[in-house]
Amino acid sequence: MFLALKEMSRAKTRFGLLVAAIALLVFLILFQQSLQNGLITGFVGAIRNQNAPVLVYSVDGQRVVQGSIITPDLEAELRGVDEIGEVGRLGQGTFTGLPTRAEITFDTTIIGYELGADGEGLGAPRELVDGRYPTAELEAVASTGGDFEFAVGDTVVLQPGGFTVEVVGLADDIQLNVAPTLFTSYDTWSSAVQSVNPDAGPPLPNVMVVAPADGVTDGQLVDAINARSLEFDALTRADAAAETPGVSQVQQSFRLIFLLYGLVVPCVTGLFFLIVTFQKANSLTLLRAIGAPASRLVASLLIQVVLIIGAGLFVGTALYYPVSQLRLGGLSLRYESGAVVFWTVLLLVLGIASALVAARRVLRIDPIEATTGAGVGI
Amino acid sequence: MNLALKELRRRPGRFATATLIITLIAILLMFLGSLLDGLIRSSTGAIRAQDVDAIVYSSTAQASFPRSRLDVDVRMQVESLDGVTEVGGIGLVQLGARVPGNGPRDLANVALFGYEIAPKGVPEPPADGQAYADEVLEVDGVEEGMTILLGPARTPVEVIGFVSDTSFNGQGGLWTSEATWRSTLSENRPDAQLADGVWQALVVRGDAELAERIDAATDGATDSYTVADAVNAIPGVEEQQGTFNQIIGVTIAVALVVIGLFFALLTVERLSLYGVLKALGAKSLTIFGGLLVQAVVVTLIASTVAGILVILLDVVIPPGSIPIYVSAGSILSSAALLLLAAAVGCSFSLRRVLSVDPASAIGTTS
Repeated sequence: MFLALKEMSRAKTRFGLLVAAIALLVFLILFQQSLQNGLITGFVGAIRNQNAPVLVYSVDGQRVVQGSIITPDLEAELRGVDEIGEVGRLGQGTFTGLPTRAEITFDTTIIGYELGADGEGLGAPRELVDGRYPTAELEAVASTGGDFEFAVGDTVVLQPGGFTVEVVGLADDIQLNVAPTLFTSYDTWSSAVQSVNPDAGPPLPNVMVVAPADGVTDGQLVDAINARSLEFDALTRADAAAETPGVSQVQQSFRLIFLLYGLVVPCVTGLFFLIVTFQKANSLTLLRAIGAPASRLVASLLIQVVLIIGAGLFVGTALYYPVSQLRLGGLSLRYESGAVVFWTVLLLVLGIASALVAARRVLRIDPIEATTGAGVGI
Repeated sequence: MNLALKELRRRPGRFATATLIITLIAILLMFLGSLLDGLIRSSTGAIRAQDVDAIVYSSTAQASFPRSRLDVDVRMQVESLDGVTEVGGIGLVQLGARVPGNGPRDLANVALFGYEIAPKGVPEPPADGQAYADEVLEVDGVEEGMTILLGPARTPVEVIGFVSDTSFNGQGGLWTSEATWRSTLSENRPDAQLADGVWQALVVRGDAELAERIDAATDGATDSYTVADAVNAIPGVEEQQGTFNQIIGVTIAVALVVIGLFFALLTVERLSLYGVLKALGAKSLTIFGGLLVQAVVVTLIASTVAGILVILLDVVIPPGSIPIYVSAGSILSSAALLLLAAAVGCSFSLRRVLSVDPASAIGTTS
């Protein structure tokens, strides 16, 4: 331990550079983990965190809410499915909105659902963090985070036309398409669509939101609806979020990036300690010749590995923390403590494993070579 | 320099691990660059292809076609502006397309454009009911002469040829006449239909700095862009570019530190030998030049291997899974950035090389 620390204190630049490299890599990995989760939540949070267990798209929609159109014939067909317990309409559109406290306009998503008696009809946000659910026309639950931080009592004026909606509640993680999102009554959404385009006909629902009858599971309901017509594309809430176009591509891309970063960290650590071991060859041989057991030298090496990776993880996480509190465009990043723990454990294990090559070299040192000068052989 | 190359040739094992790490970093850089190019290309092709001087949206549209609506009056104002030589309407509707031979749930994503002024690489507007398709739609089974059915109304459109790099928002472009676009829009998207003569956007040819003059002439009813600005105004494009460029920048910094670390350690290991070389008359800059050559060669090898692997990755990745676009430009720019990082990283060792005292050669080497 003493030897390990002494060596590190005397070669600060060398070990400092390694800590810097690992810290930068850790920062990159954690930042991108937050970016990935922020992107996905921003894209499909509204689907994931609304209360309907099953969403029914038209096949034409390709699992994009705004791309799907439920014609009157399709709606009638759906309402005839026996396994359905409750059904409602859901419409979505993207508008240009000017919130009361803002000086510039924002892309604003409006999702309309049938409110029901208490505003918690199918399609409503599952949980509020402030205020109440809408119970009348022109009222909305707004998303938190993103480009604009809504507050209860704010109004949003849609342009052109001046159609105005009041925010009466707030919910976390209910954005769609990385835009500030308002959940309103279905009729409010319909009026909003027509207010910005005088040529528009009455909009049709984009998606039907459905709950199963008693004794029917969500999976059974999905199967029953899809079996009813090839025009339907019914999905559970989780599947609808995961299979929105773009989500799986984002996940696959990031997986590949994480894999590459995950490989670079142990390679850098392993290379560093291997080279350092070569450089110390003569000293290590001498230590062995004067009676230092190989296990002590290996332990010293491993202590350095753990300290260096630990320091890299600490600095990387410290760099990541303030960045994780930022907004990036319309994305709200978040400190991912689960990711920090996962990567800390993984990188420590991989780092120690990579140092085993250097440890093997140390174990192969023959004390007799102190008299011949061979040291650590390649 | 000869010595440095000889060492690389005779002791390749010494540089193998560093080469491996730089190769991994080079793959990362090239993959990130290709991913960015793929995302941007598939989102912006239809706008980049516009062969005009300005693209005009309504002032509240935030550069979004579906949210933009320009009346006949606005078009007349633009047409009467000095320096304007040609004005055309353009409109979009994004739909699922049923392709003959595909399964009933296996639809192709299309971005159908009605246009008056032909974009680069796209012929003049075809006859009603016909369209030119972007070649990315070939992956979905679309063929020349085929009639595909668009949207819930199953609007038939015959594909009469292919064009390239005209995708929009990740959807394959389909270029058709005004009448076909209007009928497809109203049949499939009644909530987005527009009256005759009303367009979502206008494309304008004429003098320079047209965009600002158009907005002034329409008294703020329009929001006009050059083609380059219109590309950046597409929601998400600037954010994607900014984020990816930051990640690429930090990855280059990591490469710089790794290369610096490796050659600093290599230098420390060989200080006594450098002492001998200096005692024999070698200049510090010659020794440092050797290190630089080694760093450049290692980086070149790593970049070449990484380039080949990224090209293979592009071949192996199934179409539609990860939207990467591998180009020589992106591979070469990544390699150039890595070479720069190698040179800068290597320069960390310059101080040590300069500080080697030739006198230290006496009695220090075995």
